[in-house]
Amino acid sequence: MSKFKNIKKDFPIFERDINGNKLTYLDSGATSQKPNSVIDKMTEIYKFNNANVHRGTYVLSAETTQEYESVRTKFQSFLNASESDEIIFTKGTTEALNFLANSIANKFMGEGDEIILSEIEHHANIIPWQMVAEKYKLSIKYVKVNEDFSLDLDDLSSKLSSKTKVVSIVGESNLSGMLPDIKEINNLVRANSEALLIIDGAQLVPHRKVDVQDLGIDFLVFSGHKMLGPTGIGVVWGKKELLNSLDPVYGGGDMIEEVHYDKATWAPVPHKFEAGTPPYVEAIGLGAAVDYLQDLGMSEVEKHSDELREYGRKVLLDIDGVNVIHSQETIAGCTFGMYVDGVHAADLSLMLDTHGVAVRAGHHCVQPFHRKLGIDATIRSTAYIYNDKEDIDTLKSALISSVEMLR
Amino acid sequence: MSIREKVDEYKKILDIFPNDQEKYQYLIEKAKENDSFPSELRLDNFKVNGCQSQVWLVPEEKDEKLFFNSDSDALIAKGLVTLIASIYSDEKAEDIVSNEIDLMEEFELGVILSPARRNGAYSMLKTIKEYAKKLIT
Repeated sequence: MSKFKNIKKDFPIFERDINGNKLTYLDSGATSQKPNSVIDKMTEIYKFNNANVHRGTYVLSAETTQEYESVRTKFQSFLNASESDEIIFTKGTTEALNFLANSIANKFMGEGDEIILSEIEHHANIIPWQMVAEKYKLSIKYVKVNEDFSLDLDDLSSKLSSKTKVVSIVGESNLSGMLPDIKEINNLVRANSEALLIIDGAQLVPHRKVDVQDLGIDFLVFSGHKMLGPTGIGVVWGKKELLNSLDPVYGGGDMIEEVHYDKATWAPVPHKFEAGTPPYVEAIGLGAAVDYLQDLGMSEVEKHSDELREYGRKVLLDIDGVNVIHSQETIAGCTFGMYVDGVHAADLSLMLDTHGVAVRAGHHCVQPFHRKLGIDATIRSTAYIYNDKEDIDTLKSALISSVEMLR
Repeated sequence: MSIREKVDEYKKILDIFPNDQEKYQYLIEKAKENDSFPSELRLDNFKVNGCQSQVWLVPEEKDEKLFFNSDSDALIAKGLVTLIASIYSDEKAEDIVSNEIDLMEEFELGVILSPARRNGAYSMLKTIKEYAKKLIT
């Protein structure tokens, strides 16, 4: 029997009734729901183990420290990293990108250097670069997105040069589900520049098997809460020699080796990047989420996502009057941006909510790309492991009846 | 009718509808009835900040009373702003400022009137009160 058949039972939120309907949760691109194993693990830590990590020489602290550090090892295997020290915990993808932008610009960049992003980046992969660009007098170039929502890799090639110091690209589009060819991007970056390649894996890592060594990239960032884990925890994976060469952005707490009144020296990676008390309970909760995904098997998670995406394409692409923003490549994420001419996305999502259907409305933090498409706002359906074909059917029928009411 | 009487009147109407869907449908009808807003008044200085959709509120003073003309590019928000504008229209600025009725408490209007929302109805009310305050001072 499919591992996904009764999976909703592992997620207590699906016991809820929304406006007299069962919950059809299709907003996992914003955040995922949490299985009992994650919730229970965090409760267990607070109830029976809680003590600050790396500090106390007593049983509780030793236990939480051991659990916290073991999550790095889980991610080493999850991402096929060469060492567990290459895993740095952050608050989430946004903080991870802010950290990398500041640390890399400070160490490796100077006036006139260039950063390459794409037109479809999340604001979290634009604004930190704009901020450092202003401070260090750098310039930003945006790789074009084709009409079928794929990245124009010829445009990337033409923009790469000896001036390019960073290329930071989304691993899976949060609006169209587009999956760029990361290996090809890596080849182009290596052949035409000496830039560091960062992949924003916020939407990619929860859904697809990622092997950082096979991809050849320099950094991968992602959030825990989109992959069944709690909020407030995310990851930067980086090549060890690069992490060694970067300086911390935040100081204080456990990130030091020695502190004097006039100077300080840093602890080795990963701890030099983890100032202050880390969100260790969240990290341990995220470890339980990784266990849950590993038990399912990431290749099964991918297969499930691919099946639902194909079903979504069959069902959602031909609804009368509904325009769909979705990757036209064979393989893509199960993410569908949608808009209806003459109907506001906010109205549509409010009406869908009355059917128990939870989708996102707005610009989904990709405002420049909406502007490029000439659309104010869209609704977005993003599915995850607990969604099934019935959820897509519910979305379709709710969409049809909502559009009818709003026209 | 006083602000209190108008609120009670709307409460009676909204109570007829058994669920959010029918309440939203009522707001959509209210929005469609409100076709008097001149499109040239869709100006940034009349925009209500903090709404998910674009909402405009234009005050007008007549015979020492305030009137509000409203519009939105979304139907449910337009219905809501039409309803709120009619409650506070034809009232003296002093009465608007001193009135302490909490619409979020009075009306059951699903997520659009949830007090936790940092936008929407809260911003509309705040804008109306600010217009009234400006007239007094």
